[in-house]
Amino acid sequence: MMNNKKSKKIKHVSLIVVPLLFCFIMCVGIAGVLAPQLPKLIPIVNMFMSDKQVDYSTGYENIFVPTTSSGDTVNAEDVEFPRIDKQFGELSIKGRKVSAKLFFGDGAVPLRNGVGVYAGSFIPGYGKTVLIAGHNNTYFNGLKNVKKNDIVEINTSYGNYQYEITTTKILSADDSSAYDLTKKEENLVMYTCYPFDELGLTEKRFFVYAKKISGPEIVGLYE
Amino acid sequence: MKKLFKNEKFVRFLYGVLAFVLSALIVIFSLTTMLKVTVFNSSFLNDVLNNSAYYTDLCDEITDDLVDIGNASGLNKSFFSDLIDEFMVREDIQSYIESFYNGEKLVVNTDNFQRSLRDAIENYEKKKGIDPQTVSEESINYFVVEATKIYSKSIEITYFNMIQKDAMKWSSKMLIYALISIVAIVLIMCFIFFTNKWKHLAVKYFYYATASAGLFVFLIPTVLNVSGILQKIAILSRSLNDLYTSCVNSLLMNMYVISAVLIGLSVVFVIIHKHLRKLATA
Repeated sequence: MMNNKKSKKIKHVSLIVVPLLFCFIMCVGIAGVLAPQLPKLIPIVNMFMSDKQVDYSTGYENIFVPTTSSGDTVNAEDVEFPRIDKQFGELSIKGRKVSAKLFFGDGAVPLRNGVGVYAGSFIPGYGKTVLIAGHNNTYFNGLKNVKKNDIVEINTSYGNYQYEITTTKILSADDSSAYDLTKKEENLVMYTCYPFDELGLTEKRFFVYAKKISGPEIVGLYE
Repeated sequence: MKKLFKNEKFVRFLYGVLAFVLSALIVIFSLTTMLKVTVFNSSFLNDVLNNSAYYTDLCDEITDDLVDIGNASGLNKSFFSDLIDEFMVREDIQSYIESFYNGEKLVVNTDNFQRSLRDAIENYEKKKGIDPQTVSEESINYFVVEATKIYSKSIEITYFNMIQKDAMKWSSKMLIYALISIVAIVLIMCFIFFTNKWKHLAVKYFYYATASAGLFVFLIPTVLNVSGILQKIAILSRSLNDLYTSCVNSLLMNMYVISAVLIGLSVVFVIIHKHLRKLATA
């Protein structure tokens, strides 16, 4: 009687245990098959993954806080270096209808919302070339009005800068002589498509060159 | 050998192994059949596209990208507001998908887009009173070429051109795997059923196979959902991300359905098993 009960119980337990055991063996089998492929698979999967859920808002982050400080230098450790697509300042040329938010990077987000520093160039205060792009139909439309000796103002959270326009040029988009990113003297180059207010795209670009006249130099960059 | 087959424990072990193989074959058959009727079937993708906001989102994305190029071409936002027709986008994407599944060269038909764009430029010139003689044809052509590149790139479904060859190969393989596994399933089931003296025991092995297959198929989408990996897919275009996640979610839902069917089947086998056992002991 006892044996019969025990055997009945075992039979009932087997109805649960055996499927679970089979399922477990299949999982181990799959893991065994995939394990040698993992070093190849993980980087491929990671290509399509991010650490967090992607934010598709077209907005941008703004780290610009106006400052009135007027020192000659600013420590690199006190500067919040901008990341791509972040607004970190403002650019304006008085009386020439140029006033725009200044971004780091010159992709779609910066140029939709303002003007952008080419990420391969430098931010103001670095002592090198600051190359800024903008659309000729929007924020850089006013560049058509600029004249020699006009003052370009760039305000950032770590200092306010002034540049004096020295010259303008119309060059081809792929003209490598248009700017020098290795220059060891701070200079500003702004450019946009040319001609202004005309229908259609061209390979021509309108370049505006300016030299720095004031603003703090970032020190301690390479320490 | 004969002695071995008379050993009850060995025979049970053998049937156990066969039940496990049957279970693995049911998993293979279920998944290959599911993939064949979903991922490797153009109507599945079209259904996903129609049931998601893909076309609307894509039209907005194309318009935004064209506004960017318009900002460098003397054309403001209003010029592009009605340019991208959802019907045109739908037609061009469907023809692209058909080419993918037919193994044809993946080329986006941009004829309608180019025609619309040129008409829109002509109307804009008339509306603004711009003399066409003063407009450089070269600049307009350059703009049309660049705008067409943007349109074409948006219609293309990312990675499709990379996976087309492999997908075609796998599509035919899926059918072969499904056929082989169904034949093997039938043969093993017949073997278990007809070689077993006690039919209720044979049905119990069918239960083991279907229940474990159902559990395993249930486990795959559950692990993916619980791990949160699907929420971290990082495709920069919102529309494309929606498309891929809709496809994956639809696949996972299919897996849950398959799992429910298999577990339902296993319940039926348990009931039959108990009924046959009662009859045998009576």
